[in-house]
Amino acid sequence: MIALPIVEDGKGGKKLWRSLPQLRQDPEFADVVRDEVMPADSPPSRRHFLQVMGASMALAGLTACRRPVERIMPFARQPEELIPGIPLHYATAMPFRGAVLPLLVKSSDGRPTKIEGNPEHPSATGSTNVFAQASLLELYDPDRSRTLLHQGERTSWDAVVELSQRLGGSTRRLAVLARPSSSPTAAALRSRLAERFEDLQWITYRSEGDDAAASGHQSAFGRSLRALYDFSRARVIVSLDADFLGPTARNFGPATQSFARGRKLASSDASMSRLYVAESAFSVTGAMADHRRRMRSADVGALAYEIARRLGAATGSGSGLSDDPFLDAVVADLVNAGSGGVILAGESQPAQVHALCAAINAALGSVGSAVRLLDTDEDPEPPQGAALRDLANAMRAGEVDAALILGVNPAYDAPPDLDFAGALAEVPETIHVGLHHDETARLATWHIPAAHYLEAWSDGRSWDGTLSVVQPLIAPLYADARSDIEVLALLATGAPQSAYDLVRDTFRPVLSGAFEDAWRRILHDGYAEDTAFPEVVPEAPVPAGPPGFTSVNGIEVVLRLDPTVLDGSYANNAWCQELPDPVTKIVWDNVAVMSPATAEALGVEARYSKGRYYVDVIRLTRGERSVELPVWIVPGHADDSITVTMGYGRSIGSDRPERVTPFWDTADKTDIYGHGALANGVGQSVTPLRDASLTAIATDVSIAVTGRTYRIITTQDHGVLDIEARPLLRLGTLEQYRANPAFALEAEAPTPGSDEKTNFQDYPMLWEDRHPARDAAMRDSSYYRNQWGMVIDLNACTGCGTCILACQAENNVQVVGKTEVGNGRELHWLRLDRYFVSEEGTELPKNPQMVLQPVPCQHCENAPCEAVCPVAATVHSPDGTNQMIYNRCIGTRYCANNCPYKVRRFNYFNWSKTIPETVQMAQNPNVTVRSRGVMEKCSFCVQRIRGAQRRAELEDRALVRGEVLTACQQSCPAEAITFGDLNDAGSDVSRLREDPRAYTMLAELNVKPRVSYLARVSNPKPDAELS
Amino acid sequence: MATAQDHTSPNPPLVTGNLGFHDITQLVSYHTEKRPPAMWYMVFAVSSTLLMMLLAMIAYLFWNGVGVWGNNNPVGWGWPIVNFVFWVGIGHAGTLISAILFLFRQQWRTAINRSAEAMTLFAVICALLFPTIHVGRVWVIYWTLPVPNQMEMWPQFKSPLLWDVFAVSVYFTVSLIFWYVGLIPDLGTLRDRARSPLRRRIMAFLALGWTGANRHWRNYEKSYLLLAALATPLVLSVHSVVSFDFAVSIVPGWHTTIFPPYFVAGAIFSGFAMVMTLLIVARSVYGIRNIITMDHLEKMAIIILLTGTMVGFAYITEYFVAWYSQVEYEQYAFLNRSTGPYAWAYWIMMSCNLLFPQFFWIKRLRRSIPFLFVTSIIVNIGMWFERFVITVTSLHRDFLPASWDYFNPTIVDILTLAGSFGLFLTLFLLFLRFLPMVAMAEVKMVLPESDPHFYENGHDKA
Repeated sequence: MIALPIVEDGKGGKKLWRSLPQLRQDPEFADVVRDEVMPADSPPSRRHFLQVMGASMALAGLTACRRPVERIMPFARQPEELIPGIPLHYATAMPFRGAVLPLLVKSSDGRPTKIEGNPEHPSATGSTNVFAQASLLELYDPDRSRTLLHQGERTSWDAVVELSQRLGGSTRRLAVLARPSSSPTAAALRSRLAERFEDLQWITYRSEGDDAAASGHQSAFGRSLRALYDFSRARVIVSLDADFLGPTARNFGPATQSFARGRKLASSDASMSRLYVAESAFSVTGAMADHRRRMRSADVGALAYEIARRLGAATGSGSGLSDDPFLDAVVADLVNAGSGGVILAGESQPAQVHALCAAINAALGSVGSAVRLLDTDEDPEPPQGAALRDLANAMRAGEVDAALILGVNPAYDAPPDLDFAGALAEVPETIHVGLHHDETARLATWHIPAAHYLEAWSDGRSWDGTLSVVQPLIAPLYADARSDIEVLALLATGAPQSAYDLVRDTFRPVLSGAFEDAWRRILHDGYAEDTAFPEVVPEAPVPAGPPGFTSVNGIEVVLRLDPTVLDGSYANNAWCQELPDPVTKIVWDNVAVMSPATAEALGVEARYSKGRYYVDVIRLTRGERSVELPVWIVPGHADDSITVTMGYGRSIGSDRPERVTPFWDTADKTDIYGHGALANGVGQSVTPLRDASLTAIATDVSIAVTGRTYRIITTQDHGVLDIEARPLLRLGTLEQYRANPAFALEAEAPTPGSDEKTNFQDYPMLWEDRHPARDAAMRDSSYYRNQWGMVIDLNACTGCGTCILACQAENNVQVVGKTEVGNGRELHWLRLDRYFVSEEGTELPKNPQMVLQPVPCQHCENAPCEAVCPVAATVHSPDGTNQMIYNRCIGTRYCANNCPYKVRRFNYFNWSKTIPETVQMAQNPNVTVRSRGVMEKCSFCVQRIRGAQRRAELEDRALVRGEVLTACQQSCPAEAITFGDLNDAGSDVSRLREDPRAYTMLAELNVKPRVSYLARVSNPKPDAELS
Repeated sequence: MATAQDHTSPNPPLVTGNLGFHDITQLVSYHTEKRPPAMWYMVFAVSSTLLMMLLAMIAYLFWNGVGVWGNNNPVGWGWPIVNFVFWVGIGHAGTLISAILFLFRQQWRTAINRSAEAMTLFAVICALLFPTIHVGRVWVIYWTLPVPNQMEMWPQFKSPLLWDVFAVSVYFTVSLIFWYVGLIPDLGTLRDRARSPLRRRIMAFLALGWTGANRHWRNYEKSYLLLAALATPLVLSVHSVVSFDFAVSIVPGWHTTIFPPYFVAGAIFSGFAMVMTLLIVARSVYGIRNIITMDHLEKMAIIILLTGTMVGFAYITEYFVAWYSQVEYEQYAFLNRSTGPYAWAYWIMMSCNLLFPQFFWIKRLRRSIPFLFVTSIIVNIGMWFERFVITVTSLHRDFLPASWDYFNPTIVDILTLAGSFGLFLTLFLLFLRFLPMVAMAEVKMVLPESDPHFYENGHDKA
């Protein structure tokens, strides 16, 4: 307060004083009094008075912002729009690898319960990826950090505010290590931060390495361009180690959608694109290839250069690759395709390869059609390896006063050469913002729990640049949680700021018209129209000389993002850990993947014995550091190449108590959440294999056999499918398809009792007249008019695995943990069967084809499961689905035995008993959470069907075509799954079911599945003999 | 050339040692009245320990769920169903001996029918245990019974499991009544011999007022005949129905029309082997070699040889049919049995069930007690593996190779099976302790003395 003088009454000499120091008139006390509000030592002026009055009024206003008194109340007056039990959907967006994924999130009575893609977004498909689906569980992760910590002790936000003010004063040197972000608000705060801290070092930290695509385009065209591939407009696609269909791809949804559109065959005279893939690891993109060349990632550059040289996009005398039929075919086809030719390089490849690809695309003329170049107008980032090294050195030299670590985990994944942890210890104030109390959080002096994107306001740009608002659906589950923007704003201004206001401020200049209306509209739509990056068609770069790739012999090790846990940010996500790797089908582990020949050369193997894989463990040593990893052998992997994935071997703090049970209770063994953070102890970190440049390919790794063996858990055996004997998956070439569109049905066994070949669909059923579906009670049911069916197009399905997680999230499918998957008790309702196809007999082929097939319940009209249940717990519905009545099921498991597709899943233990409270919030309220001892399986998302029917009923209308989407269908970026009413002759599903490529699995059993598959057609180059 | 002893008849005497009526009464009843031998206590201690373990395993199972076993996704049925079929099979010999052999007037059955029937009942109790505990939600197992309820919700009558419930429970009920009716004259004898009033009162109650009057005998024999006629089809039906659990399904390796006769033959095969195992021990411990003679054992050995050969024939027929079907899945299922990861189980089954009984072609081995004992145990090991091969190897690799997996039993599986032997043996030992192990009245009927007219089967005792 303003220093009030001691009041003396003039007469009696009485003093009124407040305290002894005041009475004594200590100078110290005078300072306290003076600085209490105003540092200025000037006498009170009118100006000061007004300032203080203003501050007081503001504070008086703040006192109204008290924490609400916790009281639960019924909706005596129902909030507008909120009807208990009726979910609401909100448009939002999820930050993912430097862009945002536009989403539509379902909120059930206030809690987010399902994530879908925003179908109205210009770049999006309405689909999602694995990580978007899993981010729901991330929100409810019981190991999320809950409390603000300072030196490991609980502290308050006020202390952080105080810290920010302190930092603003004396400290000038701030280092920020942030995850890639597309948020304009964050960018604005970054410049405000630069104003406050003179010496601001901002490093965008990508744990997977530099953005080689960006720097490749930068060097090719001299400006910051981002390539957006529209594969539907491509005739020939060449992928150089680019897993653009893989779950980790940054533009996964649109890429997969456009690729699938270019591959779908509406009729036998339709055309489809041709995909060439040269890669080291077998990826799902490689599985879609018409011609696949397995080659070391380190050799891909030479191939790129040779292709560029032959196409005139590079100069030079050529390399030694002249006699390569694959290369010849690629070049011939690219020339042939012209502007329909697209070539792209993978993230593991250096910038030069990306530049070469950009040059080739420009030379082919595909820029502007199949390749759209967008001007991101970003400043090129320096290579982060050098930046990190400088930062670490500066830290060690005491030249950094404070460090802010935003959502990244350098203590876990920064190159070990930098000794980042040691450097961080030299910084007086380190602030870590993260979802978990992780490796870096333990080193930081301050830890701020991060708010999940579903909990806090933010914004961002999707891959094509369209602006979206990240709209929260729920207040932070933990009061201490703050978003990146809130922390940045605090540091940039020294005062807490509302992220909501900051985001609105960002959008104020962007939105036209009345702001509130426009703002409401963008919240509703999820994006701002016409805000995408401008497309440019730059001049083709001048052909350059050979980039000088040095070919190093020996075994290379390629570090890649993990298709299920990414860089480790999803390692504590049970859905991701239990999602089988699309290729290896391994769960809850990482491995060193290699080819059979390399394994033989190293003298290691994966032994399969009594349903269990015991694999050899190798030690990979780079420099002084080594990692021990179990090996895994994948036919089709490049020789002399080992693929390892990041994201495992985490160490996350958890304050949940250990589950301890008496000896007779197995709940401690079956509870995956019972023993601390579930990422801990899963797999090995491959960070020791990183060098300071953070490149993906390491050629100086020595490999030793440890002699140890390790048990690996997969959801599938290794298996080579004999297509002739078991035509479960039907493949043909475009030529075969054109000659005989119904080639898939040729593989079918002849119907018994007639010489003429007829379709099993028309073959009479055993109880032709007494079939339950023809029962009078069934026919009279109002549900009878819809007969649900599904068609899965194997030509479009890339096997990314998004559908598995979408199904898991929608249907409350529980996670059983590593041991129980090892016991064969995983519960996924939908699985992706992976087969290798070979024609060379039983010997393990060098370069087999890999195919993936989604298998949900086939909803047989003549269901073998229904007939054998002794208590009628699985029955046929009037609308033709096979239903599972959980509360009638007694668990004989006879139905599962009798299911030829083995899609039924049994609850061997009570998985739902032990799920933490927060994870319970992730459960879909419209789907029963199953208890122990009951069978479960795909229901065709019956809750969605009934929901749509209820809505239609209330609105007094018929169901609209396409109104019901199953969770797998909705999430599928390839639009491979079509679901609908077979009684509606005009529906897509009816049309596709009549497609000549349509077949049903195991039709000869006459179970009459309601799920059809469209045979896969490949488009190999005619007369090409390629391996 | 007949021996000197049985010069008037081609058949050897059914009871040796010149026993009279009273000798038989004394020989059999004595064991229910005296203190059991030390051996009985020792075996009972072991068996009741095993029984306690079974109860502990069931408690553990009920507390935690079916996951304590090794069952997994493709292999939904593991050891419990194997054990169920195994015990039902064992439960076949008793009623076959009592009913079918009675109708065929095979008088040698009288020496063994009582204990065989008791064994049947106890085996069926063990068998009924397994399908009950193997379900996921045992607390609602009664939904398999057609209990009228307000929801009008009935069991699903198309399911073979439901047929099983009826077949096995009817079989158990009829076998129990049949056994009890056969016991009544002997219970009367025990009552009359009882010294303590309590024992007399209990036996009197159980004997249902049996006085041995002519009218009683007439009613007794008529009801026994009728029950035999009722039980006979059940012998054939119960295992046929059990085989439907497999045959009605569409799983390759299960879906086979040969199953009903093959299962019945296998059941008789294993049942006789179990009777033989038990009686070889019992006759020596209780000193009743004169009642259960070498000839009885040889006759059982011949039946084991016959049914074992039938079972072996069925094994081979399955292969022929699989080949003849030209269906990949069928062919693979059988190829996988003999060469796949469970080949060891298959070859144990083949050698135990097809090979070992063939030694019974040799009369010397047929009459060798040690050989009979060992073979009877081998046969039951083989028959357990037969059910294992059928259940597990068919399931672990069926249509879609992507779903293939392997089944490993857990310690709980193993202890539960061991415990079921504890249940069986405990019940059998209690039977030996408290009830006449040989049907005295029936044995007496086949003595030469009971045939004063010296008809064909009588023996000249003069």
